[in-house]
Amino acid sequence: MVIQLKKFGTTLTSRSFGQEAFSAFKPSLQDVADDESIIVDFNGVNTFSPSWGDEFISPLMEIYKERFLIKKTKNPSVIETLLLLEEIHGFSFNYID
Amino acid sequence: MDKLLNITQASEMLGISPDTLRRWDEKGKIKSIRIKRGEYEYRYYNQDEISQLLIDKDIFKTAKDWAASLEPDSPLSFYYCPNVSVFNGRLTKLETALMKNSKFFPVSSLLVLMAGEIGNNSFDHNLGNWPDVPGVYFAYNLNKRVIVLADRGQGILKTLSRAKPDLVSHEEALKTAFTEFISGRIPEKRGNGLKLVKRIILKHNFKLYFQTGNAFFNLKGGDTELDIKTGKEYYQGCIAKIEF
Repeated sequence: MVIQLKKFGTTLTSRSFGQEAFSAFKPSLQDVADDESIIVDFNGVNTFSPSWGDEFISPLMEIYKERFLIKKTKNPSVIETLLLLEEIHGFSFNYID
Repeated sequence: MDKLLNITQASEMLGISPDTLRRWDEKGKIKSIRIKRGEYEYRYYNQDEISQLLIDKDIFKTAKDWAASLEPDSPLSFYYCPNVSVFNGRLTKLETALMKNSKFFPVSSLLVLMAGEIGNNSFDHNLGNWPDVPGVYFAYNLNKRVIVLADRGQGILKTLSRAKPDLVSHEEALKTAFTEFISGRIPEKRGNGLKLVKRIILKHNFKLYFQTGNAFFNLKGGDTELDIKTGKEYYQGCIAKIEF
């Protein structure tokens, strides 16, 4: 399953909006097969911040662990935020091209 | 044709009374356009001129005056975000304005990230507990390369004490907010976003002034640590100025 974050907005900065996004999206995760990867695509996102990311990305990482993959991006706000989330939670994201 | 505002609309936009606006008109600070309707002549104002007046204001001084006021009112409507939705709408406007100008590439997303973290923090930690005026003052001037945010919330000491009850001073609370990872998720979620704000300021040679209570710091690229000081001015909430 590929999650295109731009479908949640292009400015992903608020904790409450991150919570809302995860709650709304959670039912879709029921369709994920046991061996299926979850790929997050930041293409089209302008700004991404730790508050939003901690409500959406962190729980997905906690559920899917090594099956959770992130498409590489050059957006500085995405890069810096993902580094911070790794530091806070002590996990390492797996990246794909 | 330029958009015209009536005196009520123009004074609301500026956050002043219609009488003050009439006085400004008489002194020539901003000229009205008189339009006769029936027996009477009414004053109208060019919206672009009003907007320019707002841009030319010292947005940092305005924020400080509002944040420190003992008789608080809502700040200038143009800068006032009474709730998180209005704030995020204005944040998107900032993002659009930054992205239109190539000189802000590639750091525009980092500037929006920092303003978003500071402003959203105000809402996240004060929801339902605003001591007087709810919401955030949020202003920017891209020509002067400055972003200002302020709130009249409970301040970092009070909100952070819920996760870390041993904190006793504004100085300690400010240091903790910008340097320590708070892992406790109960009773209040902490985003740790201010740590990232600090990191971005240092890495990209920006400047940040931040104050809560009587504790403040001025941080700039090249600094090795937060030099937190206590001052005479006191803000119950938080006030921040980002220069880039």
